[in-house]
Amino acid sequence: MLKTLGRKWREKMEFGIFTLPVLICIAVAFYIPFAMTIRYSMTKWNGISKNPVFVGFDNFKQIFMGDTNFADSAWFTIKYAVLYIILVNMLAILLAIVLDMKLRTTSWLRAAFFVPYILSLVIVGFIWKFIFMQGFSSLSASTGWGMFDLSWLGTPGLAFISILAVSIWQSIGFYLVIYIAGLQSVPEDLKEAATVDGAGPFRKFFSITLPLLAPSITISVFMALTNSIKVFDVILSLTGGGPGGTTYSVAYDIYRDTFQNNLYGYGTAKALILFLAVLVVTIIQLSIFKRREVEA
Amino acid sequence: MKTQSKSSRIIIEVVMVILSLLFLYPLFLTIINSFKSFGEVMTDVIALPKQLVFSNYTYVWQFINYPKLFMNNMVITTIGLLGIVFVSSIAAYKLARTKSKWSGILYFLCIMPMLIPFQSIMLTVLQISKNIGLSESTWGLGVLYWGFGAPLAVFIYHGFVKGIPMEIDESATIDGASGFRLFFSVIFPLLKSVTTTIVIIDVMWIWNDFLLPLLMVNGSPDTKTLTLAAYTFVGQYTSDWQYAMTAMVMAVLPSIVVFIFLQKYIVKGVVAGAVKG
Repeated sequence: MLKTLGRKWREKMEFGIFTLPVLICIAVAFYIPFAMTIRYSMTKWNGISKNPVFVGFDNFKQIFMGDTNFADSAWFTIKYAVLYIILVNMLAILLAIVLDMKLRTTSWLRAAFFVPYILSLVIVGFIWKFIFMQGFSSLSASTGWGMFDLSWLGTPGLAFISILAVSIWQSIGFYLVIYIAGLQSVPEDLKEAATVDGAGPFRKFFSITLPLLAPSITISVFMALTNSIKVFDVILSLTGGGPGGTTYSVAYDIYRDTFQNNLYGYGTAKALILFLAVLVVTIIQLSIFKRREVEA
Repeated sequence: MKTQSKSSRIIIEVVMVILSLLFLYPLFLTIINSFKSFGEVMTDVIALPKQLVFSNYTYVWQFINYPKLFMNNMVITTIGLLGIVFVSSIAAYKLARTKSKWSGILYFLCIMPMLIPFQSIMLTVLQISKNIGLSESTWGLGVLYWGFGAPLAVFIYHGFVKGIPMEIDESATIDGASGFRLFFSVIFPLLKSVTTTIVIIDVMWIWNDFLLPLLMVNGSPDTKTLTLAAYTFVGQYTSDWQYAMTAMVMAVLPSIVVFIFLQKYIVKGVVAGAVKG
C-alpha cells in the first residue's frame, strides 16, 4: 500500500520534472508576452513614460475607423497572400511533374531550385534589389528588351509584382520537394492502368495525380498561407515599404508603428488583430481541406 | 514512337537545365560582382570581372569582424538547438506516455503557440527578455529560441513517440532503468530520425533568423548575427554595391557550403518536417 503510494508520487514527480522545462520556456516565449500584448493593446503608451494610460477599446476603434495605413497594408497583404498561394503552388506542381519524369538531371534540378530556400529572406531581398537596380540596366543594354528598362522597385504596381516574384523565387524549392515526395507516393501501376484505359496526359493529371496529391496540397497551401500572411523580411530589404508607402504588409505596418513611431499601445492592438486573423484563417482552412481530403 | 519520346525527353531536359541556370543567375551575378571594383560594377554588372579584386573581401571581413559574427551565429544556433531538442524531447515523451486529462491539456498548451505570429508578440518579448537579462548576450539569445522552437518540436516528437511500443519502456524498467536514464539510454536513440529532422529545420531557421536578432541588438551590439550585420552593412553602404555583394556572399556562403554537402539530408528533413508539422 505504502509502496504503491510511493510509486504514484514518484511518477507525478517525474512527470513534473520532464514537462516543466518546456512549459517554462513556452510561457516565457509566448504566453506571458501574449498576455502583456492584450493588456498593452488597451493602452496609450510611447514606451518612454512610466505608465501606460488605459484607453479601453479606443485603439481598435481608431484602427478600423480611420487608419488608412492599416487598411492599405491589410489590402496589400490579402492580395499578396492570395496570389502567392495560387502561383507558388501551381508553379511547384508543374515543376514537380516535370522532375518526376525521371530525367537524367533530376537531382541537379531539384538542388538548383531548392538553393534559394536555404538563404535568409533579408539577404535574398538585397540580392534582388541589386539585380533590379544595377543588373537590369546592364541586361537592357545587352539585350535591348524593354522589360529591363522598367523601374521594378520604383513603380507601385511593379514593386508589388517584384516582391511577389522574389518571394516565389526564394521559396518555390520548398513546395517543389513536398510535391515531388507526394508524386512519388502515387502508385506507378495506377498511372499505367489509366494509360492502358486510354487516358491522355491531361486526363491522367486531373483524375489521378491531382486527387492523390491532395494531402501535399493541403500541407503546401497551409504553409504558403501562414508564411504569406506574415510577410515582412523580404519587403524590408527589397523596397523598404516604398514607393510612396505602397508595399507595407500588415506585419511591416505593425513594426513601423511599434518601433519606428513608438506607438506601443496602438502597435500591439494591430498585432492582436493580426493574431486573430491568422487564427480564423487557419481554422477555416484546416476544416475545409480536411473535408476535401476525405472525399478524394 | 520510341525514338520520338526519347528526343522529346531530351528537349525537356535541355529546357529544364537552361531554366535552372536562369533561376540561379542572380546568385551568379552576386558572386561575380563581389570580385569587381566599384567602377566595374557601375559600368557593367553582367560581364565577368576583368581581374579578381580580393580587397573587397579583406575590407568587409575586417569591417564587420566576420570571425566574431560567425562565432555568434554558431553559439546562438548551438545553444538554441541543444535546448530545443532537450526540453522538447523529454516533455513530448512524458506527455505521449501519460494518459491523463492533465497530460492532454499540457500538450495542447505546448503546441497551441504555433498559431501565434511572432510579430504579434515581438514588443513584449523584447521587454521580457530585457527584464530577465536574455537580451544582452549570444547565449541569452540562444536560450530565447528554446521557447520559440519548442511547440513544433514537441508536436513532431509527440507524434513519433506514440509509434514506439510501450514494451520497450517496460522491459527497460524491469532491467532497472528509470527516469532520465531510461529516456536517454533507451528512448532517445530511437528518436534519431526525428531529431535529425528537427535539427535541420531549426538550424535553417535560427541561422537565418532576422527579426528577433534585430530587436535584441538594441540591447547589445555583441549579439549581432551574420544576417543582421549584412543588413546594417548594406544600410550604411547603399551605393557601394561591390562591398554589399561581398557581404551578401559572406553571409550566405556557410549555408551554401553546408547545403552542398548535406543536400540529401536537408531536403529529406524539410519534407519530413512539413509533412509531420
